[in-house]
Amino acid sequence: MSLVTVPATADSLPVPASGQAPLLLPTGEALPGPVPGRPRRGTTTIGTLLFITADAMVLGAMVAVYFAIKDGSAAWPPKGVHVGTYIPTMLTITAVMSAFSVQWGVFAARRNDGRNAAMALGLTLFLGLAMANLEWLTFVRSGFGFNDHTYGTLYDLLIGYHLVHLLAAVVVVLVLAFRTVAGHFSGDRHDALRAGALFWQYSNVVWFVVVSVLFLASRHG
Amino acid sequence: MAMTETEVDEGAGPGAPGLAPQVAVLPDAWPKGTDHKFIGSLFVAAALLFLVAGLVLALVMRAQLTTADASVVGARTYRQLFTMHGVFSVFLFLLPVWLGLGSAVVPLQVGASRLAFPRLHALSFWVFLAGGAMVTAAPALSDVFHGWTLSDPIPVKLGLRGQGPDLLLIGLVLVCLAAVLVIVNVIVTILQLRAPGLTLRRVPVFSWSIMVSGAVLLLSLPVLIGAFGMLFVDRHYGTSLFSGFTGSRGGNPLLWPRLFWFGAYPMLWALVIPALGAVSEIVSTFAGRPLFSRDRASAALVGVGMLSFAGWGSEVTNLHRGRILFILGGLAVLAPVALLILNWLATLRLAGKEGDVGALRRRFAEPPMLWALGVLPVLALGLAASVVSALDAGRDAHLTYWQVGQQHALFFGAATIGAAAALTFWGPKLWGRRLSSGLGVLEVLAVVGGTLLTVLGMLLLGARDMPVHTPVFQSGEDWALGNLIVSAGAAIVGLGVLLLLLDLLSSILGRRGRPAGADPWGGQTLEWATTSPPPRHNFDALPEVRSGTPLRDLRIAQRGSTASDPDRDPDRVPEGAA
Repeated sequence: MSLVTVPATADSLPVPASGQAPLLLPTGEALPGPVPGRPRRGTTTIGTLLFITADAMVLGAMVAVYFAIKDGSAAWPPKGVHVGTYIPTMLTITAVMSAFSVQWGVFAARRNDGRNAAMALGLTLFLGLAMANLEWLTFVRSGFGFNDHTYGTLYDLLIGYHLVHLLAAVVVVLVLAFRTVAGHFSGDRHDALRAGALFWQYSNVVWFVVVSVLFLASRHG
Repeated sequence: MAMTETEVDEGAGPGAPGLAPQVAVLPDAWPKGTDHKFIGSLFVAAALLFLVAGLVLALVMRAQLTTADASVVGARTYRQLFTMHGVFSVFLFLLPVWLGLGSAVVPLQVGASRLAFPRLHALSFWVFLAGGAMVTAAPALSDVFHGWTLSDPIPVKLGLRGQGPDLLLIGLVLVCLAAVLVIVNVIVTILQLRAPGLTLRRVPVFSWSIMVSGAVLLLSLPVLIGAFGMLFVDRHYGTSLFSGFTGSRGGNPLLWPRLFWFGAYPMLWALVIPALGAVSEIVSTFAGRPLFSRDRASAALVGVGMLSFAGWGSEVTNLHRGRILFILGGLAVLAPVALLILNWLATLRLAGKEGDVGALRRRFAEPPMLWALGVLPVLALGLAASVVSALDAGRDAHLTYWQVGQQHALFFGAATIGAAAALTFWGPKLWGRRLSSGLGVLEVLAVVGGTLLTVLGMLLLGARDMPVHTPVFQSGEDWALGNLIVSAGAAIVGLGVLLLLLDLLSSILGRRGRPAGADPWGGQTLEWATTSPPPRHNFDALPEVRSGTPLRDLRIAQRGSTASDPDRDPDRVPEGAA
């Protein structure tokens, strides 16, 4: 492999070190270099992961405010506030089920099994809508308002934050389900599906954090 | 934005398409749409507009504070100017200028043909612009907060009624969201789209600094998004998370400054880190050799990024618990910056030893190197002021002009001058023409000299305990001299920035500058291996990458077998060159 001499005026760079001339189309236009135009596999997944990291910091800020205010309050939750654990428990169970179903979809697509993948995503969507329904019930049946007290504010903010993620994840999985039916994914081409599943799992993680903060680490005073 | 206008002029003009001259900036040579160089330049153009806006506000404030008992603007207007000056400078200038330069330059530096998510990049810009417009429109609706920390007075619902603050908060959330999206895009590009052979350790130091800064922003901006969101809820829906003066309803008024600075302090450092990276790149390029220690420079940048999370308490007042930790944190983050400065000086010293000093001096008179050298005194002054500031962390009487001076030197001065260095360094690559060398000297002298003067005046006022939010001072107080110095400095900075903008306009739109050629500075990294401006796909072909400085390798290989080459490093010579 010999190096091409580089002329004194650097204007004539680039010169491929391997000595081959740039690829040219019949029109004389140069083609893009072979590798840079083609991202490595998993690009969408890594992007999603980074976005999730940022998103988790927003949740972190809200949880920090929750604990700071809780520690400064005499009674927490305030007197007269009773939140049931029945609906959150059902929601948690549904979230765990959906975690498996969405992953089933990814595994099926990886095996080129479009039929199972579509079924799995359909089931995931159903579970997601069920969760949204339950979540709505927690708002309606809480018995306190958004600005009755800071507990109510944080309760609604945290659960609402999950609801927003859940609905976003439902839209994402809906699009991915259509794409699955259209045959967009295969054993070596399912990056978007994996990224969407990752976002779904993150939405579940948001729920687990919210439920731990609101219902497990809640009582004092 | 001026760039887009000409584009329309030329693109829609009756002239036959395809007849543009070789070095034409627009429209043929500079593709539109989702091209990362175009969107990045839009970010930079918007940032420069907001720089001018912030500067004009600062000059009005200085007009008010130049003499005692002045009445240029009232106390209420002064507070609005004060707030908007800070918001413009941090969120609408420093943040987008690095987002723009980062997204325009990084793909070129790592040998990629595009960003990882080009359409997301375009979306980010328009989200940013919408946010910026909301922020700008906010004070027209009603009085916004007092100070850019939105914390003075502690944000209770009392006093600040009206929709202005709400619009400001939504605008800031959009701006931060756009920034997060750009950062995700750029980091994924560095991780996934690098040229073959360009390992993560060989990534050019500016791209590395953008990645470090992006990582810090990715963890700090969302905290601000959450904080702005909750403050919006408090204000708009009548909740009381951050007020707590209504007794039984709870809430904690001390929470806001802590939450804000937890996000804002690392963010400010993240806006300095790319400046440090750009100066590293420029110093090494103009010295004609790799950095004294590239690995230590990378490590220092990571160190600044990590330690920036340790010092957030040093800007908060009324902080008694954990004060010592924040004093240490505020001091610790200064150490890697100092090490990086030593790295630059060592690089220059080695270059002087190895090469022809006369030739080096001539190269050093180019605008980018002048700007890069201009960062040094401002950064040094900022570091010195920060030591005093950090020792004072958490005190009740913390907010004097000393803090103003420290922040303006470290977070604003160094970062802005670094951005100017980066703009003059990579600008010719992006639009194909050089800037004026003669004007460059004047610009650097004015901006750096003016910044030093301003900061020294502020530190003098700080030593005399002038509080931050003083809208007018009496003739009896001994603040007259300091204020005069600050005003003079600010005016000189304004002049320098005006010159820089005229220089940019004449180079880009007037096409006055000399054509840059592919490699105007004798660059060492991949972005110089393509034409200026680069084609839409950036590279027709890439040189082989066998080190962090592939173009330098090529140059050495070309001199090749002509025997004794002083800066020939056996490890770096490409295979088959001998």
